[in-house]
Order: sequence, then structure tokens, then C-alpha cells
Amino acid sequence: MNETAIAPVRQSVEVSIPLVKAFEIFTSEANDWWPLREHSISGERASEVVFELEASGRVYEIDADGTQHDWGKILQWDPPRRLLLSWYPGHAVSEATEVEIRFTETSQGSTLVELEHRDWEKLGSRATPLRESYDKGWVGVLRLYADRAAL
Amino acid sequence: MTYGTVIEALADPTRRKVFESLRQGPRSVGDIAKEVPVSRPAVSQHLKVLRGAGLVTDQAQGTKRIYRADQKGLSDLRAYLDGYWKDSLSSFAEHANKKGKR
Repeated sequence: MNETAIAPVRQSVEVSIPLVKAFEIFTSEANDWWPLREHSISGERASEVVFELEASGRVYEIDADGTQHDWGKILQWDPPRRLLLSWYPGHAVSEATEVEIRFTETSQGSTLVELEHRDWEKLGSRATPLRESYDKGWVGVLRLYADRAAL
Repeated sequence: MTYGTVIEALADPTRRKVFESLRQGPRSVGDIAKEVPVSRPAVSQHLKVLRGAGLVTDQAQGTKRIYRADQKGLSDLRAYLDGYWKDSLSSFAEHANKKGKR
């Protein structure tokens, strides 16, 4: 199969608060803004999202029963400019893609937040038996997407 | 919500095999049935679901119907991923800007 690079998902937003504060809100206050109901493993039953604020820290959600569901891990912790995460909500670590979030000062007091979700290619390079064992959920779908996009 | 249909369509391993068999190029139901361990009627049923999700298209060729992979379903999925981060970031911006004004 042709392992063509698959374009990363890129999104950005500018906020009218200083760099340090923007980073802090994104990480330590994620629970105040993350759209948990729409973007979580347990959906309406999700009650909290936690970023452990250190290198190798976990990122996870807590559902109504108090059960923790992993989303990923902090690969690089460079406050207040950059955050690199492995990203595998609801799936094995081996299924992880990468999410990088960069914070840059723009004009006085404003911060540009840029997000890149990448590393889709590796999902397309699985050997058949391994693929068989991971045939559930949207990572399977993404793998297929990656396969298809690599044609 | 089209991505939901795409995800559901591809969540079934057999259906995914049917879809994957089209990666090599357009095929008839009979051709697909040779590569997937299910009967021809079952293959037809799977193709119907895949077509509904925008993952395959079909075309009459003589007496045969030829199926091919369609990018539309995958584009919908891509749009979902883009939207996922867009939503999260706008939610963040809204919250951050509110805090900044205090």
C-alpha cells in the first residue's frame, strides 16, 4: 500500500487573554469549557475532564459512576507555549494519534491557539491480524479512512 | 450527522471487508463474494448499507452491476473530525474571553 502522508486536521482560535492565562485555562481549567456532552466517551454521563499537568501526565474523563476513561497522555509539557498529546480516547495506546497545541502571543494581551491532530498514517500500516483485533469504534473507521486516503 | 452513518456502516467487520475489497478497484457482487466469507445476498445487503452511507456507488455495466468506493462518505468523516476540534476550540475561546473581561 502506498503510505502517502495524510493531511493533519488543523484548527486555530484567537482569544483575548494573555499567553500564560490562555495555556492555564486550556489545561488546568479544561473542565470548565470542554464540550463533554458532545465530545467524550460517556456522552451525557460524562462528568469531568482532567489534565494531569506534567510530562507523562494522563488526560482522562470521569463518568457519573466515577469510572475513569483515558483520552491520552501528555508527551511534551512546555508551558505556556506548547502541549503535545498522544490521543486515543476509548482505545488502546497503540492506536494513538498525536495532538499538538501551540500558544502564541499575538497583539498585546491576545493569544493564538493552534491545534494539529496528526499521525493518521500509522493507522493505515497495520498487518491484517492486528487490524482484525482492533475492529471496533471510530479508530477502526479512521484506519480505514487512512487506508482510503492513502490510495 | 452523516458521519454517524459512516461510522455505523464501517463498524461491522464483514461490511468493512466488503468496503476494503473495493480498494483494489471496481467490482461486481460476485467478485466481492469471492473475497469475503459471506453469501452473495449478504454482500448485496452490505453494499446497500455502504451505499446509504455514501461509501460506495454503483453503475450498471451490461448485465452486471459494478460497485466502486465513493469518497463522499470519507469526506463526511473528515468534516466530522474538523468539526470536533472546531467545537472544542470555540468552546474554549468563549470561556477564555469571558474570563478575560472579568
